[in-house]
Amino acid sequence: MYRKQVRRRRAILVVLVVLSLILISSQFSEAESGPLHTFQRGVATVLAPVGEVAERALKPVRDLVDWFDETFQARGENEDLNAQVAELRAQVTELQQAAGENEQFEKLLELDRTAPLGGYEKVTARVIGRSPTVWFSTVQIDHGSSAGVEKNDAVVSGEGLVGRITDLTPNTAQVELITDHSNAVSAQVMPNGATGIVEPEVGDPEDLLLDYISSDEPVQENQTLVTAGWSNGQISSAYPPGIPIGRVSSTDAAEPEQEFQRIHVEPFVDLRELGYVQVLTGGEDRPGVPG
Amino acid sequence: MIVTNRIAIRIALILLVAVILQTSFFSYLSILGATPNVLPVVVVTLGLLGGAVVGAVCGFAAGLLLDSILLQTLGVSSLVLLSVGYLAGRYREGAPIKSRLLPPALIAGFTLLAAAGLAAVELMLGVDAAVSLLVVREIVLQALFAGLLAFPLYPLIRFTLRPALVDYTPSKRGRLIRLGGRRRRRAAHGRRVRSSAPRRVPRRVGRVA
Repeated sequence: MYRKQVRRRRAILVVLVVLSLILISSQFSEAESGPLHTFQRGVATVLAPVGEVAERALKPVRDLVDWFDETFQARGENEDLNAQVAELRAQVTELQQAAGENEQFEKLLELDRTAPLGGYEKVTARVIGRSPTVWFSTVQIDHGSSAGVEKNDAVVSGEGLVGRITDLTPNTAQVELITDHSNAVSAQVMPNGATGIVEPEVGDPEDLLLDYISSDEPVQENQTLVTAGWSNGQISSAYPPGIPIGRVSSTDAAEPEQEFQRIHVEPFVDLRELGYVQVLTGGEDRPGVPG
Repeated sequence: MIVTNRIAIRIALILLVAVILQTSFFSYLSILGATPNVLPVVVVTLGLLGGAVVGAVCGFAAGLLLDSILLQTLGVSSLVLLSVGYLAGRYREGAPIKSRLLPPALIAGFTLLAAAGLAAVELMLGVDAAVSLLVVREIVLQALFAGLLAFPLYPLIRFTLRPALVDYTPSKRGRLIRLGGRRRRRAAHGRRVRSSAPRRVPRRVGRVA
């Protein structure tokens, strides 16, 4: 009797493990319209309204927990901030000298913020769910294909770039954040125009890495990054040009034999506190980017 | 654990609520820079209460539901959660849980294992970004949060599934015991229940996991 139970237990374990491995490998090889993706979208569609209700109902509790966390962190940050105040006072004089330059830069940034996005229809959506691990940096929004949202559409918030649409159901969509391990954004450093690729550093949502910037390109702290949005006629960046991404927080000194610099970027958007986002849909045709 | 149809429905509801709470509440929290994960807590609790088969099946189902809702790669969370659910169940089958502090400690340990396992699976599937030491901090913090979450959740789930537990004894002063299908209150300090009905074991229908 006991041996029979042991055999049954082991058989169930083996079946479930094999089933999991089959699911993983099948989904990587399956087409978007395959049965597994269809099943997944069906479950997501059915449970999306429940998740939305739960998200709204639990928001006050969440805010309370956040308040405690922020209060705790604020006490630790107080000493650091005092030191920063002293440093910033010294920088004020220097910054006033650079005010003229900044004025020009702001005009350029404002132009970049508004002009290229004029051709896009903006779909405002609410974030209704997010992934629990640092490995999958994705969120779910409450608008999908029925609202005109398409795959690979860029997603922004008031502060800047959030990510892009990677999967769709009629009423929900998955947004892959710029901190997801599989994401890479072509970016331009303003105002000098050096172009590189912004990649995430897994585990730290407040840090991105700007790569492929030549070590002889001068990049300073606090310079702003925007999406490059390049296109060579055959392939294009998935993101429209001119969307603010973040500011340069630090640059690692390049070794003599290193071809590229390693630049840390602090994203403008607080990706842990996303409430509402805008999906930029439509716009000019971007060759090589499936819609 | 005796898994009847009603108990199976209760377990399914527990898993559904846990997944929805995780995606719409816990995943938004950032405490000390880490996000609590309630799913390993629930799966390991079910494994500790129901044994290896219950733990594995619940882990698989919870992972499948989570990956489906979040449109993630199906099977990744299932593989990790079924493993910790199975291991928790095997522990329970080999050693009785006598201390009240043992379940939270076990849940924290198995959550650490689950988070590390998920990291390993992700690395095998090809994470092509720089991995910082903060990942290790997040894993450790998730285990600590799981230990804290276990204090309310383990007794709550145990209470919810009490009809299926052959060794269920409430820890309150006035104990409720079942005699011949009727509920009688026995006063503290072990006084006998006055009853003319012969004591017999209630008949249950279902599978013993």
